[in-house]
Amino acid sequence: MTPVWRRGLLWCGVAVLCAWTLVPIYLLALGAFGGREIVSQWPKPFLPLGLSLDTVGAFLAIDGVWRATWVSVQAAAMCMVLALLLGVPAGYALARFRFAGAGSYRLLILMTRAFPVAILALPLTVSFINLGLYDTPFGVALLHAVLAVPFATLVCASLFQGIPAELEEAAWVFGCSRFTGFLRVVLPLALPGIAAASIFAFVLSWNEVFAASVLTVRHRTLTAYLLSVLSESPLHVQFAGGLILIVPSVLFIFLVRRRLFAMWGIGNR
Amino acid sequence: MKKAAPFRRSFAAALAGLLLGAAAWAPAARAEELVFLSTQLRPIESAQKMRTQILAGAPVPTNFVTEQPPQLGVHVRAEAQAGKPVSSLIGGLHGELLPLAGTRNLAPLDDVLGSLTNRQINPAMLEAGKLGGSQQLYIPWMQATYIMVANKQALPFLPAGADINALTYEQLAQWAGNIQEKTGKRLLGFPAGPTGLMPRFFEGYLYPSFTGGVVRSFRSPDAERMWTQFRDLWKFVNPNSTNYGFMQEPLLSGDVWIAFDHVARLMDALSRKPDDFVAFPAPAGPKGRGWMPVVAGLSIANGAPAAAEAAKLIEYLTRPAVQIETLKAVAFFPVVQVEMSVDLDPGLRLAADAVAKMGAAPDSLVSALPIGLDQRGGEFDKLFMDTFQRVVLRGEPPRAVLDRQGEAMKRIIADTKAACWAPDARSDGPCPVE
Repeated sequence: MTPVWRRGLLWCGVAVLCAWTLVPIYLLALGAFGGREIVSQWPKPFLPLGLSLDTVGAFLAIDGVWRATWVSVQAAAMCMVLALLLGVPAGYALARFRFAGAGSYRLLILMTRAFPVAILALPLTVSFINLGLYDTPFGVALLHAVLAVPFATLVCASLFQGIPAELEEAAWVFGCSRFTGFLRVVLPLALPGIAAASIFAFVLSWNEVFAASVLTVRHRTLTAYLLSVLSESPLHVQFAGGLILIVPSVLFIFLVRRRLFAMWGIGNR
Repeated sequence: MKKAAPFRRSFAAALAGLLLGAAAWAPAARAEELVFLSTQLRPIESAQKMRTQILAGAPVPTNFVTEQPPQLGVHVRAEAQAGKPVSSLIGGLHGELLPLAGTRNLAPLDDVLGSLTNRQINPAMLEAGKLGGSQQLYIPWMQATYIMVANKQALPFLPAGADINALTYEQLAQWAGNIQEKTGKRLLGFPAGPTGLMPRFFEGYLYPSFTGGVVRSFRSPDAERMWTQFRDLWKFVNPNSTNYGFMQEPLLSGDVWIAFDHVARLMDALSRKPDDFVAFPAPAGPKGRGWMPVVAGLSIANGAPAAAEAAKLIEYLTRPAVQIETLKAVAFFPVVQVEMSVDLDPGLRLAADAVAKMGAAPDSLVSALPIGLDQRGGEFDKLFMDTFQRVVLRGEPPRAVLDRQGEAMKRIIADTKAACWAPDARSDGPCPVE
């Protein structure tokens, strides 16, 4: 194959991949910004003729949407922190120490996901009310953390297993304690994977509806407040909601993109 | 790893800020408002209109919170069990409030009802608000139903001699057949998608019209004939119907010319292009014109933190003027007597006329929403959708499918001990599947 051919093929591949991710987002944006008419039009004009911010504007002007967004951000951030605080040490322990019951611990931690929240809803809500956690972002974060910890733990465990113990031992030789060795040598290497686990925790909390709506009344997360009823709204509103829904995830992934790329082996580009 | 440091620091700072913010926020909840928990007016636009238009003139500051039906019971019961209720006013359908009465979570409203002067609430609905007991447990709030809408382009294809306001299911099939013959397209549509309300069509329209019942006659010979006939009709139905949620969209885009749906889910088409569409009653079958009025009621939770304010809000929401305001804003119809000659917008007028015609039809056969199934309501709906899928979409023989699904229905009824509801004949104890 001549280099020209190869280049062509490469660019074709790039174009296909870009189209694969961008076309749906483009159509979503078209529906959100094109106004009511464009949504029910077929064939769709590929270029928007009448751009309007009406739908998205109306969506963002809904009473309490910002309050709910703020609750969502708080709950998701707290869920992420809690999941990492518990998941990273647990994962490290699973990877580095042989202890009795390690295998069953691994299995047990997955069991937390086996109980459907719907069945626990009533007793859970009653105890949350008694503990004063009802209707607070922290209460929601707590429950979401329960759902996110298993994944965080298992991801971190395999992450630490992939980092040679020799590196850590070398750090000890040069005067690090177990803790400082972990902090200075293991953690920086594990950061990309931890970033991935944190994305998972964040997105899980952002998207979860049932627990969030059972545990809150006045302080709803955005998903419980609005997005759960999105499917029962007219199409153009769904488009606007969909577009707004992907923004935080894209933003968050953008923030940690360097960590992710490092993990996929194309570091620091 | 030098690059990582500023990132990590800023990230940690952002997180710390968030947590501090959260801590500062939590105790500073807004001034105590009455919490109005509602399974109705969930769609974003309706909820928004409820908050900004209807409740704007309310005598007490209100926080209108929408809730999916299964969560409503969890909230109300949990708050009662913990002894610290947050929600005061509860808005829901008859069938959603009934289980809450069973667990004594609703306060009696006889005093509130006594104080409601100058308005005539529909007596049948008021009676239903006692939920089978002697005390008033909810006060009717608003009502809605399902109607049919057609594009005016479809009218020339009506079968000879058919009156659009007194159609039968046979004529509907002929009509859609004529359209397909002339245009080559299948232009009849049903909301049979994942978010559509198709189960209500079976429970409140098709079954009552053909068999005079829903549960008792579920697997009767009449039902067998009905499914066979409906399968034939489906040949003229737009195959995209299994994706439709709200029929207003395919109506507006012209994918569908004739459609059945909930009034609120057709309103957008009617109000945006009132000159392009007509609204008319659902068709009739051999046993009558089955239709399903949907009544929503207002209840006050037992031990509500703001019971007196909630009573004031009930008084406000049932005022004739507010009822008309509700009709205009969210297309739910009044439950008190109002002067309907007010200036409604043309689309709303179309819908209101269709609803009135359906109620006044000589063969009108009123069906209730399923009652007493509590958490199993979804399963009950699925049973009809499964039957529909197997008989109509996959072409399985109706008899075998009905027998099988009938067993599933027996199990649901046996588990919930639900008694028969209209139009099934009354039963002592659980409703039998005959």
